[in-house]
Amino acid sequence: MQTLRMKPDLMAEFLEALAAWGRVWAPVEREDGLFSLAVIDGDVTRARPDALRTAVPFKKLLLKPRFTMLQSAAGGTPVESADNDAGAQVLFGAHACDIHALKILDLLFLADYPDPYYRRNRERLVVVGYGCWPDDRCFCDSLNTSTADDGFDLFLTPIEDGIQVVVGSSVGDDIVRANRHLFEPATRRDARHYLERLSTRKEAFKLKLDVTALPFVLELKKDDPVWDELGRKCLCCGSCSMVCPTCSCFNVADEVTADSGAARVRTWDSCLFRDYATVAGGHSFRGDRGDRVRNRYYHKQEAFVREFGMPSCVGCGRCIDNCPTGIHVVEVFQHVRGTG
Amino acid sequence: MNLGLPPMHRPRSLERELATGANPYLPARARVMRIQELVADARLFELRFSDPELARSFTWRPGQFVELSVVGVGEGPFSLPSSPTRSGVVQLAIRRAGVLTNFLFDHLREGDEVGLRGPLGHGFPVERFVDQDVLLVAGGLGMVPVRGLLQYLIDLREHFGRVILLYGSRSPEQVLFRDELETYGRRRDAEILLTVDSTNGRPWEGRVGVVTELVDDIELDVARTVAAACGPPVLYRFLLKRLAALGFGKNRIYLSLERRMECGVGKCGHCAVGYTFTCLHGPVFSYWDAINLPELIDQ
Ligand SMILES: Cc1cc2nc3c(=O)[nH]c(=O)nc-3n(C[C@H](O)[C@H](O)[C@H](O)COP(=O)(O)OP(=O)(O)OC[C@H]3O[C@@H](n4cnc5c(N)ncnc54)[C@H](O)[C@@H]3O)c2cc1C
Ligand code: SF4
Ligand code: SF4
Ligand code: FES
Repeated sequence: MQTLRMKPDLMAEFLEALAAWGRVWAPVEREDGLFSLAVIDGDVTRARPDALRTAVPFKKLLLKPRFTMLQSAAGGTPVESADNDAGAQVLFGAHACDIHALKILDLLFLADYPDPYYRRNRERLVVVGYGCWPDDRCFCDSLNTSTADDGFDLFLTPIEDGIQVVVGSSVGDDIVRANRHLFEPATRRDARHYLERLSTRKEAFKLKLDVTALPFVLELKKDDPVWDELGRKCLCCGSCSMVCPTCSCFNVADEVTADSGAARVRTWDSCLFRDYATVAGGHSFRGDRGDRVRNRYYHKQEAFVREFGMPSCVGCGRCIDNCPTGIHVVEVFQHVRGTG
Repeated sequence: MNLGLPPMHRPRSLERELATGANPYLPARARVMRIQELVADARLFELRFSDPELARSFTWRPGQFVELSVVGVGEGPFSLPSSPTRSGVVQLAIRRAGVLTNFLFDHLREGDEVGLRGPLGHGFPVERFVDQDVLLVAGGLGMVPVRGLLQYLIDLREHFGRVILLYGSRSPEQVLFRDELETYGRRRDAEILLTVDSTNGRPWEGRVGVVTELVDDIELDVARTVAAACGPPVLYRFLLKRLAALGFGKNRIYLSLERRMECGVGKCGHCAVGYTFTCLHGPVFSYWDAINLPELIDQ
């Protein structure tokens, strides 16, 4: 790891330079206060790395919401499709929670039988992080995901009269070496400013989730009426899954294509959809809405912890932003614990 | 001891490839060698991988499954109903249930090609059955994976103690692999007890009644017996209570479970129960594991 600094007015030039590493994606303001990840080639001034959260997270860069996995010509043998292959991409403006989410997706998709569609895009993804400032829906600090030590190529943090640049990989180092004129050595003053920022930022977190023994608390409360209450309130619209950076369930369906060929298509799915666990004959293992809601929360805060030693929620607050009936993930857990 | 089986992997660890290829979603081609009527609406499909090297090397653990696919129609998980000790062809025993299986029944002919990926999941931990009596319990289509295990135990007979099969079907004409099972019984390869819910007026020499009642009809040395079961949820509900009452340790009872599956390799999430993916950690679980997973079995 290496720490440098950059003058703030060089940001645009830095963004132009990133294009040499792939199509550059960054948060842009779609409408007032609403951000989405878009390709900014052409007009880098649209990039808004300070934007707190894009509605749909970076996962769409790795696995498209819908893509063809396999295809075959009429009567032919099915072969792998390149539909999901995005080529080289640069994710600019990833926040610490996004970087943790990316590491969680890596755990899932690169373990056991690695997913080749994910892997191909992942291997060509350059991650440039950006230090954010929490609002009242961020609770990453409670989940130890408010800063990132690795998982990025470069990480930029705004500090007093400059930008701290952490080089986290050899690709990051390549970018720096190809653009030496943009960077300067970091100073002691920078380090001090960064540490001051770190502690005031920690104070700025208003929303807190007590994760003490949470998996066990959930185990104790698995029959709690709160799940039925939530089941009545939840519309099972799946929005929370679609916007969650670590929700990655998918569905697979076959199609006959226009030229009488065939395709196997993979689409984002949500465990909250009614037919998610339905088997032949129509039996659903989680027919009840309350059971499905519970399943989602348990998956994030109990199941994943048991399997991988950490929760699969990074505290980004997207599901809070996007639930049409105001279900609030932190309040749910407070309620379950009996403290809210 | 070498029992000639591929290793069991701890999920979420080692990066590995399916025997059928590095892209775990891409099936390998296999040719339909023979289609045989088992009972009404269930058929045995014998397949052989088109790649001769794969046909030769493909092996599995009893209790593992494959995904069979016809791209453009669908894909589904099916247990391997035969023993790896009898490899060469891959058998699948399939019941008509919906889009894919209707296609297999109505359009697939001997000589056609389909796709297979696998072997998938964890099979039965047969290493732990060595020198033990093995009680097999199957209900309905649950006989499919149990048959693979039964054949295996019979083929390596000297490594195991008593082998007892309790198998329940709805009616005499629904009994899967009836001739084969009766032959094993006659040859004393295994103790075979068949039962049906009702005889439907057909000739029947076995029992009438639910399969779990058969447990009471056999003498078991519980301390040296392991149990392996596959059947519908109702079978587990009664059987597990019964076995626990007899003094079976929960880690000496193994169940094979069915869940909705879309990928078979621990990615799509559909088969998740609690923290486990049925496809990757299962479909075979010990009763202890199963009881600690919400929703895994109706308790
Ligand atoms: C581990 C395992 C082993 C199985 N072994 C056998 C076997 O040996 N013989 C046999 O006849 N059947 C077996 N089944 C059930 C078999 O997979 C389903 O009957 C089959 O997938 C139904 O497909 P369909 O398109 O004909 O039905 P549809 O109902 O039209 O299927 C629609 C969709 O639901 C999915 N689906 C439906 N039912 C199931 C199910 N029970 N499990 C998983 N996905 C499902 C299919 O993948 C498909 O995407 C097994 C299931 C599992 C999980
Ligand atoms: S569960 Fe909600 S807060 Fe947690 S990572 Fe997903 S969207 Fe963000
Ligand atoms: S966004 Fe809200 S209403 Fe929609 S599925 Fe999620 S919790 Fe339920
Ligand atoms: S079938 Fe996809 S995770 Fe198990």
